[in-house]
Amino acid sequence: MNLTLWIPAIIFGFSISGIFFLVSLGLSIGFGLMRVVNLEQMLYYTVSAYMTYTMVRLTGMFWLGLLSGVVIAGIIGFAVETQLLRRVYGKPMLFTMVVTFSFFLIGIGAVQYIWGLAPKPVSSPIKTMIGIFGMEIPLYRLLIIATAGAVYVLIQLILQKTILGKAIRAGIESPENLEALGININRIFTITFIIASGCAGLGGALNAPLVMVGPYMGFDMLLYAFITVILGGLGSIKGTLISALIIGQVISVGGTLWSPLAFVAPFVVMFFVILIKPTGLYGVKGVV
Amino acid sequence: MWKKTLDRLGPLLVVLLVTVLRYLFPNKISFFTEIAIYTIYVMGNNILYGYLGLVSFGQPFYLGIGGYATALFLAYVGHNPLVALLLGIGSGLVFGIVLGPSFIRLKSSYFALINAALCAIGVFIFERLLIDITRGNDGLWFRSNMSKLPLLDVRLPQSFFLFVVIVLFLVLMIYRHLDRSTLGTMFRGLQSNEEKLKFIGYDTFKIKWVGFTIASCFSTFAGSLYAINFGFVNPSLGENSRAVEVIVATLLGGSGTVYGPFFGAFAFLGIKDIVSRWITRWELVVGILTILVLFRFSKGIWGTIQQYLLGIQKRVSGSNDIRSPKGSRSAGAGS
Repeated sequence: MNLTLWIPAIIFGFSISGIFFLVSLGLSIGFGLMRVVNLEQMLYYTVSAYMTYTMVRLTGMFWLGLLSGVVIAGIIGFAVETQLLRRVYGKPMLFTMVVTFSFFLIGIGAVQYIWGLAPKPVSSPIKTMIGIFGMEIPLYRLLIIATAGAVYVLIQLILQKTILGKAIRAGIESPENLEALGININRIFTITFIIASGCAGLGGALNAPLVMVGPYMGFDMLLYAFITVILGGLGSIKGTLISALIIGQVISVGGTLWSPLAFVAPFVVMFFVILIKPTGLYGVKGVV
Repeated sequence: MWKKTLDRLGPLLVVLLVTVLRYLFPNKISFFTEIAIYTIYVMGNNILYGYLGLVSFGQPFYLGIGGYATALFLAYVGHNPLVALLLGIGSGLVFGIVLGPSFIRLKSSYFALINAALCAIGVFIFERLLIDITRGNDGLWFRSNMSKLPLLDVRLPQSFFLFVVIVLFLVLMIYRHLDRSTLGTMFRGLQSNEEKLKFIGYDTFKIKWVGFTIASCFSTFAGSLYAINFGFVNPSLGENSRAVEVIVATLLGGSGTVYGPFFGAFAFLGIKDIVSRWITRWELVVGILTILVLFRFSKGIWGTIQQYLLGIQKRVSGSNDIRSPKGSRSAGAGS
């Protein structure tokens, strides 16, 4: 048992989990609350990563880039929810999926026009290494884990403690009853959607230094987001977190064992879970 | 009466139209060959989308499977293109039967997502995992390995066009028969009310399984035809980003109809041909086109034509014929 190999692999896995969790949150919660599989979440991820790149180029400040990425993601999310998605609520699932996927394609086309086709590198803002059990771990990875954890705790706090959160949870249970109580459900949808888009944007900005920022980065991430939400179950935040943790470790530890496993193993895990439980680990039952 | 005859002659008319157009525009032969192949591909998706009510973002995966089954056979094992095509269909059959039970149990949203994931895995397998036999992104070339068929030499574009047209005719006949058969009716029943179909006593699981398998057979068959047409395959055949193209083509033609796929393929490839002269990156246009078709033109081309024909028929037969028009069963399904 070689510790110098496994501890970095596990920490690496957790940081991947953090990114996956942030990015898939919108896909999952959008399904739970609005019954829309909003595939265009990956667009906010892409745009936010590009904003980070631009800000780093212009000002040299990564954190400003991260902030602008999150804000831009939230603004686009707001525009999309109020202008496009509001027209598709209540339509059949296949209709909404095709609409959001085509919007994602339009967005990718626009990104290509603005930033070009060539992948752009973003340098890591923190280059410090930290020693854990004698192993050198990049501080930036630990920061990603901490951020994702903080986002999860914050969202749980909002959901459990505030009136807004209670309304959201009630909306996931039954949108009709919530509306009957006199709560403006459209506003709940918009606020939730902005939070979810902001999280996807945060994921994109945090992931920018770890991958090359390119127009198709959203497609690569879409695959992992799919696997995460299918495994965890659409509509469950807890399920998304747990499946992100599983997938991250499977990719990292599996990849350390045998490199092709990094790509194939998550799919195999998802496949077997779906075979046993068609709604994923914590899927919302009822209208699908 | 004339409508019934028209209905019976449908496949022949479609094939004649393609052939006539091919001779009117002799330098566009590869375009018309592609239309014929793409029609078969769109038919596969139409069975899923238009009949079963399932949306799949992973259709290119099946295209890739068919293409690689054909290419691997022709490159390493045999020389006969017909056997390679049969192998392509066989691969769809195998994948449909194997993947079917686990896939069709899923609700429509999960079905779409798992197919998209499968598609990305497929590209990875063709591109990197099996790089020793598929040659990765360089593509697998096999044109020189193909042998001549007794009557047609499929290596030549002209005779391959004829071959594809004959194949298209046969496939259209089969497809039309499927649409009129009990199975086709059950597919539609499944979409409108699955519970009731179960209540009557049909095994909806089996119906879906059969539908899924037929759809994957159509798609892999189109993939094999593509492979033989180009003489090589590379992983871009199964690319994920192209998944929505076939859905646009289905919608554009009119989903759930017999001749919709042909018109969809024709219109989609035509638009692509014209637009790609000015715009190199094609995603933007596909996306806008899809949203426009979904919101403003949901009947599709064939659906609109059918409505128009129905209007003429009503005017011809006058107001004394108040029965619902017969012989237009696919019109009702298109809605």
